[in-house]
Amino acid sequence: MKGLLALLTFILLAALLGPALLPWPYDAIDWNAVRAAPSAAHWLGTDGVGRDLLARTLMGTRITLSVAVAAALVAMLIGTAWGAVAGWAGGRVDDLMMRTVDALYALPFMFVVILLMVVFGRSILLVFLGIGAVEWLTMARVVRGQVIQLKARPFILAAEAAGSPAHATLIRHVLPNIAGVALAYLMLTLPQVVMVESFLSFLGLGVQEPMTSLGILVKDGADDMDLMPHALLVPGAVLVTLLLCLTLLGERLRERFAA
Amino acid sequence: MSAVYEVEGLSVSVTSRRPEPVEGQSFDKLGTAVVDGLSFTLSPGECLALVGESGSGKSLTCMTPFGLSAGVASGSARLMGEELIGLSEPALRPLRARHAGFVFQQPLTALTPHLTIAAHLAEAAMQAGGPRPSRSELAAMLDRVGLDVPDERLDQFPHRLSGGQRQRVLIAMAIAHAPAVLVADEPTSALDAALRHDIMALLRRLQRESGMAMLLVSHDLAGVADHADRLLVMKHGRMMETGPARTLVSTPRSDYAKALVAATPRLDAPIAARPAVGGMLLEANAIRVSFPRPGWRSGRMLAVDGASLSVRAGECLALVGGSGSGKSTLARAIARLGPCDSGDVLWKDAPLPPRSAMRRGDRRGFQPVFQDPVASLDPRWSVAEIVGEPLAWLGQSPPFVSSDVETPDQRLDVTRHERIERVQAALAAVDLPPDFAIRRARELSGGQAQRVALARALVSEPDLLVLDEATSALDVLVAAQIVALLQRLQRERGLAILAITHDLALARLLAHRIAVMEAGRIVEEGWAEEVCASPAHPVTQRLVAASRGS
Amino acid sequence: MLTLILRRLATAIPTLFAVILLSFLLMRFAPGGPFDGERPLDPATRAALITAYGMDQPLPVQFTRYVGNLAQGDFGPSLVYRDFTVTQLVAKGLPVSLTLGALALLLALTLGVASGLAAAMKPGGRADRSIGLIATLLTVLPSFVTAPALVLVFALGLGWLPVSGWGEGAPRHLVLPVIALALPAAGAIAKLTRAGLTEVLGQDHVRAARARGLSPLRTLTRHALRPALVPVASYVGPTAAGLLTGAVVIETIFALPGLGRYFVQGALNRDYPLVLGVVTLYAALIILFNLLADLAYGWLDPRVRG
Repeated sequence: MKGLLALLTFILLAALLGPALLPWPYDAIDWNAVRAAPSAAHWLGTDGVGRDLLARTLMGTRITLSVAVAAALVAMLIGTAWGAVAGWAGGRVDDLMMRTVDALYALPFMFVVILLMVVFGRSILLVFLGIGAVEWLTMARVVRGQVIQLKARPFILAAEAAGSPAHATLIRHVLPNIAGVALAYLMLTLPQVVMVESFLSFLGLGVQEPMTSLGILVKDGADDMDLMPHALLVPGAVLVTLLLCLTLLGERLRERFAA
Repeated sequence: MSAVYEVEGLSVSVTSRRPEPVEGQSFDKLGTAVVDGLSFTLSPGECLALVGESGSGKSLTCMTPFGLSAGVASGSARLMGEELIGLSEPALRPLRARHAGFVFQQPLTALTPHLTIAAHLAEAAMQAGGPRPSRSELAAMLDRVGLDVPDERLDQFPHRLSGGQRQRVLIAMAIAHAPAVLVADEPTSALDAALRHDIMALLRRLQRESGMAMLLVSHDLAGVADHADRLLVMKHGRMMETGPARTLVSTPRSDYAKALVAATPRLDAPIAARPAVGGMLLEANAIRVSFPRPGWRSGRMLAVDGASLSVRAGECLALVGGSGSGKSTLARAIARLGPCDSGDVLWKDAPLPPRSAMRRGDRRGFQPVFQDPVASLDPRWSVAEIVGEPLAWLGQSPPFVSSDVETPDQRLDVTRHERIERVQAALAAVDLPPDFAIRRARELSGGQAQRVALARALVSEPDLLVLDEATSALDVLVAAQIVALLQRLQRERGLAILAITHDLALARLLAHRIAVMEAGRIVEEGWAEEVCASPAHPVTQRLVAASRGS
Repeated sequence: MLTLILRRLATAIPTLFAVILLSFLLMRFAPGGPFDGERPLDPATRAALITAYGMDQPLPVQFTRYVGNLAQGDFGPSLVYRDFTVTQLVAKGLPVSLTLGALALLLALTLGVASGLAAAMKPGGRADRSIGLIATLLTVLPSFVTAPALVLVFALGLGWLPVSGWGEGAPRHLVLPVIALALPAAGAIAKLTRAGLTEVLGQDHVRAARARGLSPLRTLTRHALRPALVPVASYVGPTAAGLLTGAVVIETIFALPGLGRYFVQGALNRDYPLVLGVVTLYAALIILFNLLADLAYGWLDPRVRG
């Protein structure tokens, strides 16, 4: 757990501070070093047009992470609100709201995101809104389940007997008790979102050049992998490390709070 | 005759970080339960009952030598002359299969959901290497444990059967290979009171018929005293007392056994005079409650079918019935904490609004206490916050309609300072020291948590407590303390109580009157002692028989 | 059980309808149409095309007509691949995607359940921990990282297998795409199997079976495995639909002529009927596989049958 957190913090700090500390901006072209192998000047080499790969990787990590955090927060807000209301209201309202979630699950969601990107143009804002708007479904289901479980606990009934109005019970008793699980699923949503964002960028539907993201770097790397495999392996390794850290942390949190 | 099972100087230590929850009472301390130097012998045809509270190590004592618990055993345990302690799991397995049969506490979960009853029975019959039984043999096994229409049952999946039926199947499985020892770990405590007696009698009959020995584990001294030959009373992993069952119960020698016997409510025990009764407090007329049928089926099930009751000031009415009789549903409907289709409730002669229209002030007079003490408290709140919750809401008239409040009684409009004082007073009333106020709910034991729940119910100074099985999740001694506390509150505060319980003997201790419920109706009602002494309705008669344990 | 299926179908049809309506509207309200490509068409041609494709009709009329045609298996004409109907395109792409997906699903299930079983045999043991880590790693490895990496090693490096292409479905061409597609699902299935098994192994009925002297293997296979697979079934339902209808990325990387490629092309070219057709097909498949998953529940756990 500590090791994971340390690694994650390191990646975060590097992505936040790194670009400012490096001599090469992520979009600066070094005409003397196109497709250069790692060297003292460019620690990880350069890409096909002579841009520093370390700078680009750090920048890509930053973009990917910001999109992920924003999208996961959107997903958590929608999901928690939807799930809490459905679980708390119960009966017909719950039925209707969860049927909607079921129906949305049946949406070919990757296709929908692609459609959204194509239809409304490609902006970062839209990327994370779109991802957040589809990733909330799991959160809604989990939160609803938790709320229903809590609702059956006698302390909720005791609160009613104590005269606590429904909204106060929801805010004072229910939400604090699902916060842990919501946090765990927030952590688990992050890698999902990172994956989708990278995936979209990979298909050329996400972030646009010269701005970059891990997905774009991997795609560019894959295109040139026979000439310079490090251009695929470096951003690929960062992406996988990031996803692994987030997933493992999320799973630990889930184990701790779901029990 | 020589012993079939001999235990000498058995010790069990639990080293795993998370020991198995003790008898489903997850709220009690999950610390390392240890058994320390226990010895006993079991002869053929004999029944020995290990009795103790949760955490006494009684289950570990009987399961660990067989390799069926997380504990590590030392000492000696010989089954049919073969030493079990120190054997590896592969070596233990055939011994278990050949000589022992097991019945567990939870019949609802002890059968594999996707296998039919026939598959279960066949597996059990073949566990000691016997041939595959024919269908008529399987049906005969079910017939032997008193299951109706055995032939139909064979093809059913476990979830079609009730808890009692499943326990019968499990018993049939446990004896299918004619074991020398039957180990029954709380075989009746998950069952309805009226059923417990039947299942114990069945076990006893089968044991006598086949001449096997039975090792029984129970927390219920009264429940096993009439069925076991010998009792062994345990506390904290040590033997407190052992002896013939009837002698031990009638004349216990050790202090602990004396306390246990005294704490167990019995129908023939003398009872103190009950406090005087005042004017009419609560009247409920023709209450009906129905629920939608579970699953996909349409229609509704009637849970309470036109029940009426009344409680006077200072009076205690006990609602007694088996599980599913509708007693809790009725109490919740009356207290406006559950659904209510029709019928009206008068509180101090004024009609109580339906649940959705209840205003804060309407709830001041009556407060509930629930069965599961730990689940009754928000784990994240401190004791002071929990006990103070009713003051926060019931104490204020709604600001927007202050003129609309019907009761001018503003006694609960308290300042912060007063609130702290009243929380402290409520804690004192339930015999909890003041420093409990800063504890978190999850740090409390079951008994402490129930006292806190009681303090929360008392803090608004209600006239009536609604107790929903408030002591049945607690250990015997703890439950007795809570009952004593309730009796004191009855005397000192003139508190009226509506008590829901499955335990007639307990009802008789607390109540002026008893109302017996069955299938959503009140089938018998009368003075507590008269109902217990001369029950009129068959349901009551069964409950009386179950409480007598005879 | 039958009523359960009927109930499911009763909710499935409105869902499918909603999916079609939503994607229909989305495509129609999108700024820019299929004829607003790089080369502007002269207004007359444009108007003629729009009339020919019925796009001058009011939306409800267009939608009704579309659904009516759908019911007869007619997905309409492709606006970009002018010589083909969408039905023909789907008929070309679907077999490729189905072959790929079915093989990947089979591989993922075999690998996943087997390693999940191995891990659950001794919870907390070395095998359990290493399988757990590998499975997590597989689930987070995006296919667009694994696929190029596989190509780098096995095609470019060792030269054992072709880099890309369909090769008329020759096994050599299938190996790498199938593995790349199967790995994340295999990881997820392994984790679900392991979690399901460890939970079931702690339940009373397993303890009761152990008490009867059953061997660990028999306890596992006869008493624990079936209930433990319930979460796997609920995961495999939608995942199978995803695998079968084409992993867009895998088809792009390996240049396979599957459904996913047509979809991306269609979306980029605003080929409404093509996109709508693929989305509808995909939604129908998800619904179908969820239904199959429900049937699987019934077999795994008879309590569901009611």
